[in-house]
Amino acid sequence: MATLRLNGIRKRYPNGITALHGIDLSVADGELIVVVGPSGCGKSTLLRTVAGLESISDGELMINEQRVNALEPAERDIAMVFQNYALYPHMSVFENMAYALKNRGTPKDEIRRRVTDTARLLDLAELLDRRPRQLSGGQRQRVAMGRAIVREPQVFLFDEPLSNLDAKLRVQMRLEIRRLQKRLGITSVYVTHDQVEAMTLADRLVVMNGGHVEQCGTPMMLYAQPATRFVASFLGSPAMNFLPLAAHRDAVVLPNGAQVALPDMLSAGRAATLGIRPEHLVEAASQPEAAAVLDVTVEMLEPLGADTLAYTRLPGLDEWLVVRLDGAHAAREGQRLSLAFAMANCHVFDAQGMRVPVSNEASVSLREAQ
Amino acid sequence: MSAPFQRHRLTPWVLMAPQLGIVLVFFFWPALQAIEQAFYVEDAFGLSREFAGLANFKAVLSDPTYYQALGTTLVFSLAVALGAMSIALLLAVMADRVIRGARVYRTLLVWPYAVAPAVAGVLWLFLFDPTLGLISSLLGNMGIDWDHKLNGAQALALVIMASVWKQMSYNFVFFLAALQALPKSLLEAAAIDRAGPWRRFWTITFPLLSPTSFFLLVMNSVYAFFETFGTIDTVTSGGPGGATTTLVYKVYQDGFVGQDMGSSAAQSVLLMALVGGLTWFQFRYVERKVQY
Repeated sequence: MATLRLNGIRKRYPNGITALHGIDLSVADGELIVVVGPSGCGKSTLLRTVAGLESISDGELMINEQRVNALEPAERDIAMVFQNYALYPHMSVFENMAYALKNRGTPKDEIRRRVTDTARLLDLAELLDRRPRQLSGGQRQRVAMGRAIVREPQVFLFDEPLSNLDAKLRVQMRLEIRRLQKRLGITSVYVTHDQVEAMTLADRLVVMNGGHVEQCGTPMMLYAQPATRFVASFLGSPAMNFLPLAAHRDAVVLPNGAQVALPDMLSAGRAATLGIRPEHLVEAASQPEAAAVLDVTVEMLEPLGADTLAYTRLPGLDEWLVVRLDGAHAAREGQRLSLAFAMANCHVFDAQGMRVPVSNEASVSLREAQ
Repeated sequence: MSAPFQRHRLTPWVLMAPQLGIVLVFFFWPALQAIEQAFYVEDAFGLSREFAGLANFKAVLSDPTYYQALGTTLVFSLAVALGAMSIALLLAVMADRVIRGARVYRTLLVWPYAVAPAVAGVLWLFLFDPTLGLISSLLGNMGIDWDHKLNGAQALALVIMASVWKQMSYNFVFFLAALQALPKSLLEAAAIDRAGPWRRFWTITFPLLSPTSFFLLVMNSVYAFFETFGTIDTVTSGGPGGATTTLVYKVYQDGFVGQDMGSSAAQSVLLMALVGGLTWFQFRYVERKVQY
């Protein structure tokens, strides 16, 4: 039962590299926060500073409103699950799980009781005498979880715990982690680079980039209202399509020359990019009321079963325009499609990549630019 | 073996031939000759010899100086192996933690290994010389009367120190490499699991170093038994009064100084059996405690 608060956490290495540029984050009791970002964005460094494995250059780290900056990892009452599990290879599963309790001087019978209880919770009861090398990847992962759970820590830290598992096991363990975390109600910080894992696990999601927090909020909020172009591109698979907007007299123009009427921004001229997710591009024929029509050519198809992803070419756009079609769609490569989209589903970003609010009157028209 | 390799059965042998040749000529041939010679008595001039059966062995095993040398060897070997290993481990742990100037420390710590045993012996001899030595005069100022030429215990301590100093570098390299190969996350996990530095070392680092420690135990025993000859010869020549005469030094003394080839050969056969037995024991009983 704990809250965790980060006030302007900075991390500078002696070689002058700054890994974290002032991170502010508040984690409520029992909440599962997922920190997601590309490699090198500082998410692991952030977790390690919370754990106490890295010192904090500046800012405050509070657990239960107690400043813990100067405390050793051992004194912070946190547990961490490592990417490679970091199981002690010379100890049995039981000894691995009992190690922290032993170090604290817990009585022997209590250790035995707590380890057996946790082992039962994680379905490890049969494996307590085994050594880590005699276990499968999924079992090792569960032992690493058990080692953290058995301590009943204030805060759980997860450092990409599923990235060494195969795809099927990863989905299974993802659900397992979610179930256990809710059941035990332990405040958790979970680091991953996998956006699907991030979306599915998080109570709240923190997207990091270059040592900054780009945006923090519920997964659906970040998906629907990305604050920056980076967040928009990072969440969602396949990624959002971005169409550069060119200023043309008193309008902005899509690469194919179609004019976009964005009344409240025309004067400011801020709009630089129009973002639209693959699922928000639909065939114009099925949506006669949709405002804009883009004529594209299908270059490649990726049938996924329920959906088919079409990689299409829009004249004037260098990148592919990705469209999520129904799995039953009879599209062929080389076929021409007329795509429509509603302005309400669009995201507009300025030249710095910041979200520009779009009013309801905004619309896209088919008029060719003069 | 997979199919592509079967066509090249000869190649591995050709590649191994030079090393095998050296082993055969310099190790197996002399060893076989020693075994043969152990059963003969030779005259003082080496002109004739006579089959003697087990007489050489009987003579050696009823000689009190042989048992004295055996005792000296056991004390000496134990002290050298444990001393060289524990000091090396301590230095390796410290060098592993150093970040600034790490390469300088590491290079300096490896240097003693490059010094020939006889040169190292002379170095220690000068430092501890009862009349000229720097350290012996310092010890004299502190009220310790150092004279390894008269005091057997001091002489033994001196050859132990010189041998430890020399072997330490070898052990250091292995321990440092093993320490650096330890996954960092294990020690981090232990730190989070509330283990202090001392406990982390004894419950995580030390057990995980056991394959290296075991290898070094075998190597250091062999070193202490055989390769310390040069050091002993230059520092004390086995004296005073046989206080630093180890088994291998006695083989040399009786054979090449005393010209009793039969006895010397019998001793070297016994020594081979002893070290072989020790190594077998180490693999049979100590290796079980090794964590791989």
